[in-house]
Amino acid sequence: MLETIAEILRATIAVGLVTAGILAILICVRNLTRKMSILRLFVQIIASIGIFVILLFWPLPWNPILSGLIFSIALRLTIVFALIVVSTLVFGRFFCGWLCPFVLYMDLLTRLRKALKIPHWNLPEKLNNGLDVLRYVILASFLALALIFGLLNADVWRYVIMFMGPFKSLIIVFLSPIEPLIEQTGRALGFEVWGASFHDLRGTINYFNGPNLILITWIVFFAFTAGSFMVRMLWCRFCPVGATLSILNRFSPFKWAPILHIDKVEEKCTKCGICKRVCPVQVTEVYEEKGGNVTAPKCIHCFRCVEMCPYEGCLNIKMAGKTIYKSKNWLKEEEE
Amino acid sequence: MASEIETGSKYIPEMSQSEIEELGNSIKAASIKVMEQNIKRMKKTWPNRPEAMEYFDEISNFFGRREKEVREQKEAGKKLIGYSCMFAPIEFILAAGAIPVRVGSGWYDAAKLGDRIMPVEVCPVIRSTVGAKMVNLSPYLELSDAIITPLTCDGRTKLSEILSDFKPIWYMTPPRVKDNPQSLSLWKEEMQVIRGKIEELTGTKITKNRLRSAIEVMQKATKAFRRLQDLRKGPPVITGRDAMLVNQTSLWDDIERWTQKTNELCEELEKRVEQKDWAFPPDTSRVMVTGTPMLWPDSWKVPNLIEESNPAGVLVVDEQCSGDRILYDPVGVDEWTMSDMFDAVSERYLMASTCPCFTSEHGNEDRVNWLMDRIKEYKVDGVIYYVVRGCILYAMEYARIKRILDRMGLPVYYLDTDYTREDVGQMKTRIEAFLEMLEARIDI
Repeated sequence: MLETIAEILRATIAVGLVTAGILAILICVRNLTRKMSILRLFVQIIASIGIFVILLFWPLPWNPILSGLIFSIALRLTIVFALIVVSTLVFGRFFCGWLCPFVLYMDLLTRLRKALKIPHWNLPEKLNNGLDVLRYVILASFLALALIFGLLNADVWRYVIMFMGPFKSLIIVFLSPIEPLIEQTGRALGFEVWGASFHDLRGTINYFNGPNLILITWIVFFAFTAGSFMVRMLWCRFCPVGATLSILNRFSPFKWAPILHIDKVEEKCTKCGICKRVCPVQVTEVYEEKGGNVTAPKCIHCFRCVEMCPYEGCLNIKMAGKTIYKSKNWLKEEEE
Repeated sequence: MASEIETGSKYIPEMSQSEIEELGNSIKAASIKVMEQNIKRMKKTWPNRPEAMEYFDEISNFFGRREKEVREQKEAGKKLIGYSCMFAPIEFILAAGAIPVRVGSGWYDAAKLGDRIMPVEVCPVIRSTVGAKMVNLSPYLELSDAIITPLTCDGRTKLSEILSDFKPIWYMTPPRVKDNPQSLSLWKEEMQVIRGKIEELTGTKITKNRLRSAIEVMQKATKAFRRLQDLRKGPPVITGRDAMLVNQTSLWDDIERWTQKTNELCEELEKRVEQKDWAFPPDTSRVMVTGTPMLWPDSWKVPNLIEESNPAGVLVVDEQCSGDRILYDPVGVDEWTMSDMFDAVSERYLMASTCPCFTSEHGNEDRVNWLMDRIKEYKVDGVIYYVVRGCILYAMEYARIKRILDRMGLPVYYLDTDYTREDVGQMKTRIEAFLEMLEARIDI
């Protein structure tokens, strides 16, 4: 049974990657306007391949006992927190749009839908904002669960995990709904797969559901496949990892901090609304805010708005204060 | 009740056929003269005008080649859909296989006729259009099968009422606040209705493919338009009037041919940039005009004066719906589905517009921002705030613009005029004084 599932999964991944490659070439040839999208697609594919290789084949040296010998708990906790703080401050949610394999998966679904010319569904703004709050609820409950189960288990390492919990995605990778599948199937195939995220939560689910986990995961997986087909980036809208990546940037003292952010020049904006319409996670801040740093915690840094803004230099991607990419008259490049 | 009492037209008085013809012919003759004169004056200011401009000279004649073409196409079964304001969705008209044409009027003599029924306080653009209708002057207005009239300002609201006696009028109500969700949904409904009406008139369904190709045609036009506008950012390689003429011919020309010709012009101009062959000396004061639309042919009064005065100024950019705003904003489509294309077209006409009819909690900020950006991009030395009497929305926004420009340290001059030739001498003095001041500032 598990072997069959693993085969299906592998086939899915293989087909997905091949499709992505073909699509990328097609887009490259046909439409050079979307240069940012193409670059992003390539980065995503490479990152995803890397991630799957690591997860399935890499014999990871990470071992609680070993590391426990090397580092003291206090030091480990410090490192973990430092990582959280630094990465949220420096990168914001860059990971989401450019490296996360599940975003790639949803992107491919979106591209497929675009190719089939099926209109997408927009979530009502209130629901979208509600989902944005939900992600913090999910995050909080995960942390609470981790705390409870961490305490029940006397293993000290659990404490570290407990605090790392969702933040682990920064060090390793979070594969969202498909992740338990890979671990389970990988194990069945004899690979030493390293569980990537929400360790303790999965422990909880396993504790309660045991053998049903795979089934549940498949259901969730298909539900999100269907959902993301119609609603762009459905998972991203309440993904708790996104919350961990942007939690500090939510508060105004840190808002300016990420070295990578979208900057808007107020004078060049006519509020034409293109940025609002093309945003796959329906961020409205880029449109509504007057100028300066307009990156929202909801933003997955796909930079579609910057790419589609028709006014030269209105939206800019700034890295450490330097403009690395700016909106331009994309009509110019359509034919060149 | 009213309908029982009223017979004939609601506003326009009964006129004998001979009077209509007589007046019409005399205004037409005068208009032809004015158009010729304007072109002559443009040639005088810029002796080595590019060859590509000849095409636009030809098309700019209201009673010439283009009229004939439109008549022929109409006989072949094509529909002509007029629009009084830049809010009308040209992409839909094109997609339905109809010819879009803007029907606002720039005839001074016709405005005098319009005075018979409109009070003089009313904006002369409206009075002139009414006057043109009274004597069947404008071929495009006469030939159009329906007129889309966005009710942006008070003048246009009543204009549509007057015109409704003669043509089917399709109203569109643009919301006065553009960036809230209810405005956009209202506007999209309006667009949906207009789309239905266009489909009904032409008998052509606006399908996905047709709309897509219409959008692509307009995007190409925008691209050519921007190419020309971008050329004006540097030293004056084209006179402001010539650029204005090119911009305005897009309102009634076949858009694909216009795009091609504009690109030809741009190629010629780009060569001139390399040769440093400027239309004006590069140190000429760079003037921007903003305010009421300056419509061909008679409203060439002020641009003529600016570019012919001594010292001369060059119009580098404007912020008018008769110029920079015609085609500057592209329709940005994310996904080529019907719903997204429809939304993109709707949003482009409402949200990208910087018409003074809008307001918001921060005032009409988009216009202010856009003005400031244009000023910086085109290195403007001075702004002429052009308002015709009765254009209240632009006149009322002046105080705010003036304050902002003052803070930027940029001279701004409020030029109020009317659709009349009588104040040319006075205008000349005023404009020359302003340009002299600009010149002095540059010298310092």
